[in-house]
Amino acid sequence: MRIGSNYSKEFQRIVEIYERAGGDAANLLKGDVASIIVSGQKVLGLNNVRGVSMESFSKDDVVIVKINVGDRVHIPSPTHLCVGALDKVGEQRIRFEIEVGEESEISFLSHCSFPFADDFAHIMEAVFHLRKGAKVFYEDHHFHSDSGGTKVRTSYSVILDTKSHFENRFYLTRTRVGRLELDMESHNNGEGSVVHLETKVYERADDRVEVREKLYLNAPESSGILKTAIFATDSSYANVVNEAYGNAPHVRGHVECREIVKGDEVQVGTIPVLRMRYDTSELTHEASIGRVNAKQLQTLMAKGLTEDEATELIVKGMLR
Amino acid sequence: MREREERKEERLVALVLDSISLRRNNSWIVRNVTLRFDRGKTYAILGNNGVGKTTIVNMIMGLEGYREHEGRIFLDGEDITALPVHQRARKGITLLWQEPARFQGLRVIEYLTLGGKLAVNPRILEDVLKAVGLNASYLEREIDESLSGGERKRIELASVLLLKPRYAMLDEPDSGIDLMSTEMIKDIFQRLKTAGSAVIAVTHREEIALLTDKAFLVCGGMVVKEDSPKEVCEYYKTLCDWCDHVNKPEEAQMG
Repeated sequence: MRIGSNYSKEFQRIVEIYERAGGDAANLLKGDVASIIVSGQKVLGLNNVRGVSMESFSKDDVVIVKINVGDRVHIPSPTHLCVGALDKVGEQRIRFEIEVGEESEISFLSHCSFPFADDFAHIMEAVFHLRKGAKVFYEDHHFHSDSGGTKVRTSYSVILDTKSHFENRFYLTRTRVGRLELDMESHNNGEGSVVHLETKVYERADDRVEVREKLYLNAPESSGILKTAIFATDSSYANVVNEAYGNAPHVRGHVECREIVKGDEVQVGTIPVLRMRYDTSELTHEASIGRVNAKQLQTLMAKGLTEDEATELIVKGMLR
Repeated sequence: MREREERKEERLVALVLDSISLRRNNSWIVRNVTLRFDRGKTYAILGNNGVGKTTIVNMIMGLEGYREHEGRIFLDGEDITALPVHQRARKGITLLWQEPARFQGLRVIEYLTLGGKLAVNPRILEDVLKAVGLNASYLEREIDESLSGGERKRIELASVLLLKPRYAMLDEPDSGIDLMSTEMIKDIFQRLKTAGSAVIAVTHREEIALLTDKAFLVCGGMVVKEDSPKEVCEYYKTLCDWCDHVNKPEEAQMG
């Protein structure tokens, strides 16, 4: 990866926070690993590998990153997306347009870090199109400031062609959230396409989370799972709406939301919505809101952990 | 005065239940149970299903729903009746549940070391896993539905071995584990006993009771006989197999 000389200091700092967030900076600099570093509204560096073509440009204050993976390409190492900002106040708008060719396979590892945000908005939109038989695994880790001043509005939209497979994992568990609005939708337009979207969030203080996930099973034999797990503490707020639409025969969908609460001032809610048109299809939902399972808690307390320590350990597993 | 002093003395190195009773919905689940468990010895609480055996150990552990009882519980001379679960555990009591819980996402190594709070030499970890019939590859497995009930039970047994409690209460230690593993249970009892722990095994199986030094037969929430395991098992076999004294303490007393 080549870094512009005028960005070298900023690059160093963003790399530092990337590593603090759990990323391995060495991967960002490896020639055989596709990667991109975006700080604020600037693309500091970008590296392409054979089979992956990334380009970036700005339009109307939005950083647009187009990633194109050719047909029948298998990228062994994850493509690293390092996104963040060092500013306390401001806004970052970014749009990823990702197109994956037929029978190709690629994984993405994204780290979004806003360690100093007092009043900073990160608005990210990601649009995926997976061609026939393509497989994509996308993992997104967020790290926000302690002040609760990070505001994130993230949306993922996925279009799946025949027998393609998309998996997404979104994690915001290690730091405060601030404000999070997460919209995810999958359009399973191809027969036999599969999607799995999973979101895990740990809320502290007065964090606020809105999750809206939509699963459109538009083609026969397509299937999908939407899973959300939230641990809400203090006076945090969470609202999760999972929707699944069975618009074709022989589809299967499952939506699941688990909200664990701790404290008497949390406000959490979940609404599952299932709509189906064919009797050969099956949609299911599972939702639970409550404190940590008493048996799990007491099992660990019978080994000497306090209720808080036991809760931490249980939640650590649950949000992994 | 002297009698009181002697009783106090007796409690100093033992777990003592002093007339504990628990009532639910106007019926006695446990009634007037007085027991003593000495360290370095093994005990069986034997009885049919539903007679109150598990309730007794849950009361000793102080689990939620089992703390509002009559009578007192002494641990090495200290009245622990009012203590919460984790404090009783820190004083040396632990409980192996009949059906261990699942912990989604939690790896066996994290569970056994209590998230790193229990510093354990990797060789000791492997050793305890071996003692319960598992190998080191289990350390990275998650304690979820991918593990069978028997595997989770073995992990619980490994956890008890690692904790080295003064008083290990094992509720149906062999349930979910195949019959061939009675030898393994015997070895675990011996291991704990050698380390100076008292083992309190709750069981409905004579084979397990016969592995211990002393047995208590429970019926209708009461201890109806205490003796050598052989004597108690003989009594159990002769009188309890056909009996329906489940949770009827007054009748049990008569029996």
